[in-house]
Amino acid sequence: MSELDRRDFLKIVGLSAGAAATAGCGDPASKLIPYVIQPEEITPGVAVHYASTCQECPAACGLHVKTREGRPIKLEGNPEHPINQGRLCARGQVGIGRTYHPDRIQGPASRSADGSLQSLSWEDARNKLAAKLGSAAARTWILGGPVGPSLDGLLDRFVEAAGIAGRLTYSPFGQHALIEASEAVFGVSAAPVFDLSEADLVIDFGADFLDTGTSPTEHAAQFSKSRDLAGHEDGGARLVAISPRQNLTASNADQWVAAAPGSEGVLALALAKAVADRKGAGEVAGALAGARVAEAIRAAGIERSLFDGLVDRLASAQRAVALPPGIAAATNAGSGAAAAVLLLNVVLGAVGERLRYPASDAKRTASLKDVLALIGEMKAGRVDCLLIHDLNPVFSLPEAAGFKEALAKVDLVVSFASMADETSERAHMLLPDHSSMENWGDASPRPGIRSLIQPTIRPLYDTQALGDTLLGIGRAMGGSVAEQLPAGSWKSVVESNWSDTNWRQALARGGVFGPMPTREVSLAPSAANLRPSMPRLQGSEELTLVAFPHSYFGDGRGAALPWMQEIPDPVTKLSWNSWAEISFEKARELGVAFGDVITISSSAGSVDVSVFPRGGIRDEVVAIPIGQGHTVGHYASMAGDGEPGVARGANVAALLPAALDEAGGQAFLSTKVSISKTGRFRRLALSQWTDNQRKRGLAPEVSLYDLAKTGGMAHFVAAASASEPGASHAAEGNHDAAGGHGEGGHAEEGGGEHHFEGPPFEFDPANDADPDQPYRWGMTIDNDKCTGCSACVAACYVENNGTIVGEAQAIRHREMSWMRIERYVGDGEDDVRDGAVRRPTPDGEALGKNEVRHLPMLCQHCGAAPCESVCPVIATYHTPEGINGMVYNRCVGTRYCANNCVYKVRRFNYFDYGRLNWPGLLGLMLNPDVTVRGQGVMEKCTFCVQRIAAARQPAKDEGRLIGDGEVVTACQQACPSGAIEFGNVRDKSSVAAQVASRADERAYHALQELNARPAVTYLAQVKRDKTEGVH
Amino acid sequence: MAPPPASAVADAMNAPARPRDSRTNVDIMAVTKGFHWPWLIAFIAAVSGVVMAFLALAYQTYEGLGVAGYQAPVFWGVYIITFVFWIGIGHAGTLISAILYLFRAKWRNAINRGAETMTVFAVLTAALFPLIHIGRLWKFYFLLPYPNQRYLWVNFKSPLLWDVFAVNTYLTISVLFFLVGLIPDIAIARDRALGWKKAVYTVLAAGWQGTGKQWKAHNRTVLHLSGIATPLVLSVHSVVSWDFAMSIVPGWHATIFAPYFVAGAIFGGFAMVVVVMVPVRRIFRLEPYITDYHFENMSRFILFTSLICGYAYGAEYFIAWYSGVEPEQTSFWQRAFGPYWVSTWCMITFNVIFPQLLWIKRLRTCVPFLFVLCFFINLGMWFERYVIIITSLSREYVPAAWGLYIPSTVELMVLAGSFCWFSMFFLLFLKMFPIIAISEVKELDIHARDHAREAAAHGGTH
Repeated sequence: MSELDRRDFLKIVGLSAGAAATAGCGDPASKLIPYVIQPEEITPGVAVHYASTCQECPAACGLHVKTREGRPIKLEGNPEHPINQGRLCARGQVGIGRTYHPDRIQGPASRSADGSLQSLSWEDARNKLAAKLGSAAARTWILGGPVGPSLDGLLDRFVEAAGIAGRLTYSPFGQHALIEASEAVFGVSAAPVFDLSEADLVIDFGADFLDTGTSPTEHAAQFSKSRDLAGHEDGGARLVAISPRQNLTASNADQWVAAAPGSEGVLALALAKAVADRKGAGEVAGALAGARVAEAIRAAGIERSLFDGLVDRLASAQRAVALPPGIAAATNAGSGAAAAVLLLNVVLGAVGERLRYPASDAKRTASLKDVLALIGEMKAGRVDCLLIHDLNPVFSLPEAAGFKEALAKVDLVVSFASMADETSERAHMLLPDHSSMENWGDASPRPGIRSLIQPTIRPLYDTQALGDTLLGIGRAMGGSVAEQLPAGSWKSVVESNWSDTNWRQALARGGVFGPMPTREVSLAPSAANLRPSMPRLQGSEELTLVAFPHSYFGDGRGAALPWMQEIPDPVTKLSWNSWAEISFEKARELGVAFGDVITISSSAGSVDVSVFPRGGIRDEVVAIPIGQGHTVGHYASMAGDGEPGVARGANVAALLPAALDEAGGQAFLSTKVSISKTGRFRRLALSQWTDNQRKRGLAPEVSLYDLAKTGGMAHFVAAASASEPGASHAAEGNHDAAGGHGEGGHAEEGGGEHHFEGPPFEFDPANDADPDQPYRWGMTIDNDKCTGCSACVAACYVENNGTIVGEAQAIRHREMSWMRIERYVGDGEDDVRDGAVRRPTPDGEALGKNEVRHLPMLCQHCGAAPCESVCPVIATYHTPEGINGMVYNRCVGTRYCANNCVYKVRRFNYFDYGRLNWPGLLGLMLNPDVTVRGQGVMEKCTFCVQRIAAARQPAKDEGRLIGDGEVVTACQQACPSGAIEFGNVRDKSSVAAQVASRADERAYHALQELNARPAVTYLAQVKRDKTEGVH
Repeated sequence: MAPPPASAVADAMNAPARPRDSRTNVDIMAVTKGFHWPWLIAFIAAVSGVVMAFLALAYQTYEGLGVAGYQAPVFWGVYIITFVFWIGIGHAGTLISAILYLFRAKWRNAINRGAETMTVFAVLTAALFPLIHIGRLWKFYFLLPYPNQRYLWVNFKSPLLWDVFAVNTYLTISVLFFLVGLIPDIAIARDRALGWKKAVYTVLAAGWQGTGKQWKAHNRTVLHLSGIATPLVLSVHSVVSWDFAMSIVPGWHATIFAPYFVAGAIFGGFAMVVVVMVPVRRIFRLEPYITDYHFENMSRFILFTSLICGYAYGAEYFIAWYSGVEPEQTSFWQRAFGPYWVSTWCMITFNVIFPQLLWIKRLRTCVPFLFVLCFFINLGMWFERYVIIITSLSREYVPAAWGLYIPSTVELMVLAGSFCWFSMFFLLFLKMFPIIAISEVKELDIHARDHAREAAAHGGTH
């Protein structure tokens, strides 16, 4: 076989200009090989969905794993699952990549003295480990992450049977403080479950519930419901977010309170006291005795008037709920802070309604304190063997805890990791687990919900389920150990745990879902002793380090997935690296600008990281995301960029002391730091350079007041600046509208400086398709519901085989995402001098003010698309159904379409991404319904045309039209808050058409004065707190 | 500007040092003969540059366009800039050959061959760039409308397709014009050549004997071709300008673009003629044929078109301000004071400010000064396209998608290579064909003699 393949051949041929004209490029004929024996459940070309459970975070959302010809290719939300109800966040969407990941450990191995890996057979591995356990079981520990009930039970039985010294189930993001607080306030040893769907006021004390909270998808859906304008004339729930930096929740809040870090507890108690005083204290009076309002206001660094405003809000709300501090606000007084928030909930009357306790106590998991104790044992040489599963303690434990050094003292470290990580690199024996797509298992995120994990693909590598490995080791140990363990395989263990259910039905549905059995709670006597205090931070430096969870990385495990690296952080729009957020003021003081590397030093250590100055952070705070800084992994470290062993970004664990809260959990907000300039510069991949939309009518907003008062779109179509002479001149352009819709809707205008003359074009996207076609596909996106979480972006990547370009390319804006979330702050000034050039960072943010507007941007499938007319080869054209089609193999790559696209949604394949960017087996997860684009062609959103095609076939067979709801685009399907609707807008009864018409007062088209007649109708964001005026 | 009266031309051409007819053949054909060190050095440099550019291009073709500096939202870069630049350069040749021919501006006869040669090779150079730009060179034939079984057709609405036609038409006509004009001179070369060269020239001379009938046919052909070529001078760059003007990009979408581009092209083209002809004249001792008078005339053209360019620059900014359209205003503000301010101010300085020195007569005839000035004008014209293309694309409607573009090494190598490619062909031409149209220069002498006779017959007055 020659080494010259077709592409190379063509490239060489292409060099000669003479040959260029004649070199054809017929693809070599390759044959599809049919099944010899057709598997019963597989019809080639038809997707089969299996219900399963997402393992990316403890929320345990239900999945429908879409498989094609035996390969899982996409994860979708299980509509029956009570947690996510068919939605799935960005992290869940890309979890599919773990199965095919190049970091997968491909079989059992042991590490020889020189550090190289020798592969083992499972038999040998089991025997070796069994022998070790036989002699040293009493000096063996199991350290692992949270697992489902079946595996948890099996691990417990194994520990007992083998006589192992102990087992720790540790999660870096545990809820110990909250459980301890519940114990103190209500005498209940469980974490409360929040339901925001009926709330009219949500006050978030650093929980960041829309992004990195305990169950973001569930909460985003509930929150969206609670403030859906369709059901709430008053605008529904208001959101107050308290956070020293503007996180995603604060970006969506009606009010952002930029309180000092760590002041959440005292502030919550002071609020509880003030509200109780207003409403009548009742039974909580005693518990609130510790509140010191004036001190709390001072500690939080806020104005008295702001505090009083909050009290007014809380006191007047009917169904308020307060959310306890999350990871970024976890301090050594974390439990007290959580207790204060619980007390506030008591005052607000949320307990039992929007905050409920499960009937059963939470299973006790290990806290950092327990892990530190184990580290002490290890250091003392009292641990001979350490088995590690579902956890990467080398990466995620604070370096100051000394886990790495302690690990070196352990004779035999066994890692069950499925993918290589910093811990498995140090393990002496690797017994790789299946990925969750290959494995059996279950999950129970809360009582009443039991969710199943089932394999959807035969294991790709020589891996073994952890359950089977444990059973195998036990049997190899023989004797009483084997007898005490269940017979059969891991699958039969799971099955027997589910023997009380209808197994087949549970498998089909994804589990057994019922309401959560709850219990009534009342104030415990211990509540009276609560004295929340400000946390003590280590060190006396000037700045406070806020280590916040990255939107996509969780405790760090998300960093391995390339999509999580590439999709810009929803707040900063940075990707692929760590950054340190400091205020503009601080940056000026230090003399650093965006990208300059600073050294951050704490008592525990120091890291170098590029700086990202922004307006939305307190001056005394420096904030770094958790989860970056891996030294192992194709994507997680720089290995994929040709620098193996080099960390990608900085690991915050190097800066954090092993500080504990009262319950032993890790206090992330625990240290002061100093920063200094290094003089170096490291460019960061920033996908959006300015947050100033320059009054271009991209993401307008309307105040609830105006909406209620006038109900006219005219008031906030900010098509151009009010200074534009003769703004209505543009209306002439519409006479050629296909359906002759004509201009209309020039609403009467009351005058006023911000007010605009009216929509320059009023048109109906439904007209922009062939007159005799029954379909015109269109979309509505409700900016008021969009939280910016980017689940849609992730879904789009996976559904449409979007390629990952890597950091170097992302820095050059060559990312291939078909969809992006633009983040604007307010409407900026239309001052042309204020270029984004001199300070290439978004700079519209102001402390304690939230003017953020999210605008999901994708191909608008314009009726008069500027891209179509300029393509010389008709590679992009208007389909009869109104879609802006893209024929990849017609495209020659003039790129004129991308220049002329006013929405800038076209992406060009600069390299052969489709071939280069699917290392390992990642290519197996490609969606066979979507072409993998070759080098040199343009691509963009297709409105998931493959899904339309899939729906068309049955409709055709049945001789009917495609019904509304039969085509669900990937972005629409993923969106946790249901902001996106898609459908045939020619069918006036379709949801998409209905939403657009129902919300007519808010409906607008981006840049509509350009008259591209987009098929995407946006619904303007509503400012609920503004009493008048629009921006 | 109006051509000077024929008598003035004749006077100028009949300067005292004017060689006789018989010397003209020898002097001009001497360029093609013998050995010239500067020529050899230039040729080696040009060929090396071409080789370098081809390697760069091979690398780009193998790796993909990612090795160029493109980054969203700037999807066009150095290649399109250079394409427009060379197309622009190609304008002076036809203008001199065709339009000045029709206007009977006989002074053109000494420089028209050089200008035409420049045109043909400039257009040939330009024509490579669309291929380089699309990256996959072998796909270029998709742009040609021809019947095929794959249902491939072209979009006649697209300005890029108009470009394909405009450039091809222009190339065809200018090559024809050039070749037809060469025939009598090739015949001279044939008559003075030996061996295999003679055979080649014989074929190329197409049986030219210099008979009255042939001259008549030749003159008619040149006249008709001039008539065809004249509108092309205006149309080609107008069509190229529509690549931009027909788009919706702020900074591109402007009605002034066609005349603006044509004027710019003539401006740049004349500057290029000066840059090319000054060393040719110096090295091959052609001062008796290409005189200061020619340079002064070209200077006047340059000054005039520079003013048009200056007006166009001003008009663009005025319209941006006057329109009140914010994206347009921002685009232009960013041009002048944004990240690309250097290129914008280079453009204005080199194209508008420097040429104003040509109001001074002494400078118009100072050849070294003209050479330096025209070098800067060419740089300025390249920057003009850079400014139009890059700054406009980097600041479009969606601020969230703003970006920057910096040319990559590969692009700069290909850019440098394009000059070498052009030079290589030009240098080869110098050694093969007469760089001054011998027959047309002689024609001037005949006219001058006739004129003198007439003047004598009429008593020395006119």
